[in-house]
Amino acid sequence: MSIILDISKVDMVFPTPKGDFTALKGVDLQIKKGEFISLIGHSGCGKSTVLNIVACIHKATMGGVILNNKEVTEPGPERAVVFQNHSLLPWLTAYQNIELAVKQVFKNKMSKTEMKEWIEHNLRLVHMDHARDKRPDEISGGMKQRIGIARALAMKPEILLMDEPFGALDALTRAHMQDSLMEIQQKLNNTVIMITHDVDEAVLLSDRIVMMTNGPAATIGEILDVNLPHPRNRLALAEDVEYNRLRSAVLTFLYEKQRKVEVIPKVEATESKQKTSDVA
Amino acid sequence: MTALMSKKIVGIAPMNRNKMIMSFIAEKTQALILPLVGICCFMLLWSFTASSIDTSLGKFPGPSAVATQVVNLIDEHNAERNKEDAFYIRQDQRNEMRQAKDPSYQAKVRAYTGKETFLDQIVTSVVTVLSGFLLAAVIAIPLGIAIGLSKNLNTAINPIIQIFKPVSPLAWLPLVTMVVSAVYVSPEPMFAKSFITSLITVTLCSIWPMVINTSFGVVSMNQDWVNVSQVLSLPKLVHIQKIVLPASIPAIFTGMRMSLGIAWMVLIAAEMLAQNPGLGKFVWDEFQNGSSQSLSRIMTAVFVIGLIGYLLDLAMLQLQRALSWDKSSAQR
Amino acid sequence: MFQATLKNEYKKLCLTVLTGLCLSGSLLTASLQATELGYPEKEELKFGFIKLTDMAPIAIAYEKGFFEDEGLYVTIESQANWKVLLDGVIDGRLDGAHMLAGQPIAATIGYGTKAEIITPFSMDLNGNAITVSNEIWKQMKVNIPKQADGRPVHPIKADALKPVVEKYLDEGKPFNMGMVFPVSTHNYELRYWLAAGDIHPGFYAPHKGDTSGKINAQVLLSVTPPPQMPATMEAGTIYGYCVGEPWNQQAVFKGIGVPVVTDYEIWKNNPEKVFGITKAFAEKYPNTTIRLTRALIRAAKWLDENNNANRPEAVKILSQSNYVGADYDVIANSMTGTFEYEKGDVRSVPDFNVFFRYNATYPYYSDAIWYLTQMRRWGQISDDMPDSWYKDIAAKVYRPDIYMAAAQSLVDDKILSKNDFSDLVGEDGFRAPQKHFIDNIVYDGTQPNAYINKFKIGLKTGDKL
Repeated sequence: MSIILDISKVDMVFPTPKGDFTALKGVDLQIKKGEFISLIGHSGCGKSTVLNIVACIHKATMGGVILNNKEVTEPGPERAVVFQNHSLLPWLTAYQNIELAVKQVFKNKMSKTEMKEWIEHNLRLVHMDHARDKRPDEISGGMKQRIGIARALAMKPEILLMDEPFGALDALTRAHMQDSLMEIQQKLNNTVIMITHDVDEAVLLSDRIVMMTNGPAATIGEILDVNLPHPRNRLALAEDVEYNRLRSAVLTFLYEKQRKVEVIPKVEATESKQKTSDVA
Repeated sequence: MTALMSKKIVGIAPMNRNKMIMSFIAEKTQALILPLVGICCFMLLWSFTASSIDTSLGKFPGPSAVATQVVNLIDEHNAERNKEDAFYIRQDQRNEMRQAKDPSYQAKVRAYTGKETFLDQIVTSVVTVLSGFLLAAVIAIPLGIAIGLSKNLNTAINPIIQIFKPVSPLAWLPLVTMVVSAVYVSPEPMFAKSFITSLITVTLCSIWPMVINTSFGVVSMNQDWVNVSQVLSLPKLVHIQKIVLPASIPAIFTGMRMSLGIAWMVLIAAEMLAQNPGLGKFVWDEFQNGSSQSLSRIMTAVFVIGLIGYLLDLAMLQLQRALSWDKSSAQR
Repeated sequence: MFQATLKNEYKKLCLTVLTGLCLSGSLLTASLQATELGYPEKEELKFGFIKLTDMAPIAIAYEKGFFEDEGLYVTIESQANWKVLLDGVIDGRLDGAHMLAGQPIAATIGYGTKAEIITPFSMDLNGNAITVSNEIWKQMKVNIPKQADGRPVHPIKADALKPVVEKYLDEGKPFNMGMVFPVSTHNYELRYWLAAGDIHPGFYAPHKGDTSGKINAQVLLSVTPPPQMPATMEAGTIYGYCVGEPWNQQAVFKGIGVPVVTDYEIWKNNPEKVFGITKAFAEKYPNTTIRLTRALIRAAKWLDENNNANRPEAVKILSQSNYVGADYDVIANSMTGTFEYEKGDVRSVPDFNVFFRYNATYPYYSDAIWYLTQMRRWGQISDDMPDSWYKDIAAKVYRPDIYMAAAQSLVDDKILSKNDFSDLVGEDGFRAPQKHFIDNIVYDGTQPNAYINKFKIGLKTGDKL
């Protein structure tokens, strides 16, 4: 398959009062169409920065992002983002939140009825058609994130960027959401970059896992191919040898090769562990 | 013992319900009775103190004097309305007579020239304050949004806002009066100059909280929503309309409520000083009249001014509840 | 009859006077049908006033429908102070107003705001008094001779106040009194009364930028709006004031002060307020001007008719909160021919408020000139002016021609009879030399400079500060 997205030798330097801070150094990654990529790494390693550079919410200091052989210079709906904390507009209903995106993206390409059907289709896709006229503050966190995903999908993006989409959810809901996402991915076969903290999530969902080294000057440490067949089933995989090998490979990277050295490293470690054990 | 126990057990459910009803009643009565108690205490204290304050215009008015004046003022209003009717009848007759003499004459109906009653003045004041406030809002909200969106504009305008914000209406008034008389010249003016003067003074003083709060609302807008807008590549105007404006609605309303409160206070002062029609003029006129009824009339006006201020705020709150998505910011 | 230099302006004055003469002449021969007065050019008018009983002609013309009879729809609005009122007329917010006689004159000569204001109608005679606080009265009273019944002999002269003022000055305390406006009758009357009692009220020197009027002053005069006089005196800011009614009687009712002298006693039948409009208004709306003058003449006549029979009704109207608004009793005290001095000392002053008798409504040139002489006396006019200048200014501001046109048309329309104006036949605008001043100095309006030189205190010919 062809390369759809090329993240080419990206450096990112933030000016701070104490001088420049190099967040990313030489991040280089090519993604094929239909591929599901997970970006994993410790907090603060610059995963989100990579995503934001792809979305063009941030501009790379050096290097650039090429989508379909064209450099991207500003944000656009062909690189839809699912934000960590859903980012639904609280004054709009579920339907209206998606409608805002659809109207903008398909302004002259869809008729009114087509738009309506398309919005409702996406709501159904995430199993949220019953909450069509609910406002974000009337539904649960998981439901909000489903709407957020529906909104991103409704833009028919070339590439879907997900910034720890399930990070704020409880373990059970997170599992549900992962299943839903797999189901959707089965149908649509989108190109996806997902940021995650969660080793199981990465292994379960991805085609490739991109592991980032610790910052400053973070970059890609290792890339792990996940060749588990689709559809995947979390229960069946729990016993799977390959699955467990991949899982321990990621853990090894994170906790041995790139052990996080911070002022209070213990807290960080236990937190990550806890999260991992939650899923397990 | 067992009988007692069983009775107890049986009794639990109704007891609970009774308790709930009791606590409900207690809550409601508290909400109702406590203010009443407060008002009664105030009335007692007021009538007691009033009777012990002697002014050169007689005793300070107590509650009964104010009640009498309320009746008087309503009577005066009705009497004036009757005079008004008579005025129009006379005018019609005069016009007819003139038309009989001079058939080419186009009869004009001229507005009643009598005095504004207390009730008329209330209406005048409320209309003025709302107009001035609306004008302020129409200027302040776009300005606030612009300032909130542009850091440069904020840096440029902020000192001006900070300087003008604390200026008393009484300082503006002479300038406004002179400028309005010089600039607002028209043979058949749509609005009275005094109305324009009051309105502009109100606007000048009530605009700042709205500007500041609106720009604050825009600046402190959730960055995620801005990102959403960026990802959608919303054009600037759509961005403002669909994201910025709704996002800053709670802050805008906070500013609007502050502004309306200020506007009302400013208007009364402006009317008083400029002798522009309205409640402020009523108070000043009565003070100048120095009749035996003056103090109780002023006291009546004080209550009416307070009540209207309260109602305006209440109305604003209702509007905020109806329009704002952030219900928590519209509690009190 | 006029002496001296015949300047161009002087000729103009003669013309005006001549017109007046002609018009008053035609009063004699009412059979001679004048051209019918047209409809008013401007029908909706707004008049300003200050809460004083002498605004009565305006209130009466409104309430009795005299304005409406002229096809005028008038709104009457009280004003905060004389300055606001004058500015209102100048900038057109008001079409006309109840004014201090000095205001149109001062505006025309450019003392204060410069503007051409004219007056076709003099509103009343007398109506003011000087009130002092209880404290001052106590100290003054010992210096005043008593009548057989124990009451003070009237008129009370400022001689009785002089020792009190001197005592305050010895103690280093300034002696403050209030008047209502720098060019108000009250200022000149208070000054006249003080100066007649050998108390110096201070000079103005506008050419040096001094418009406070306190140069060489023994008594410091300051401006307070009429309705606030009693409260200001009660607060102790001033020890006394000169103001129109009802604010002297209000002090008696409130028990905070004692009126000592009325302006009737200072100068019998002195001209008081006028009705002022801009010259531009009169030129643009001639019919409206004549018609509003007609309505005011009728109102003044109504006020004095049948030996003041209508006064109680007038008082009732004035006590409405939108007019003067003081209590009926307070206004009635002076309006119905009595005046209460010290509490209980009620004396009959039938002419305290005169609205129509003694040609009260006719705008005499000599009245305007008296104000000019006082402006010169106290330095508001810095330089010597020839007699002709005084007459010229008077003719610019006071417009008996308009008054006579209005009077003529009232007679023609048989609304008033020619007997109502019988004294005005052949009137030249100058009253005969007037004698009834508290200091017995005779005023002859045709000789302003000679008059100014008669005063002991005051600037005289050749003086410049």
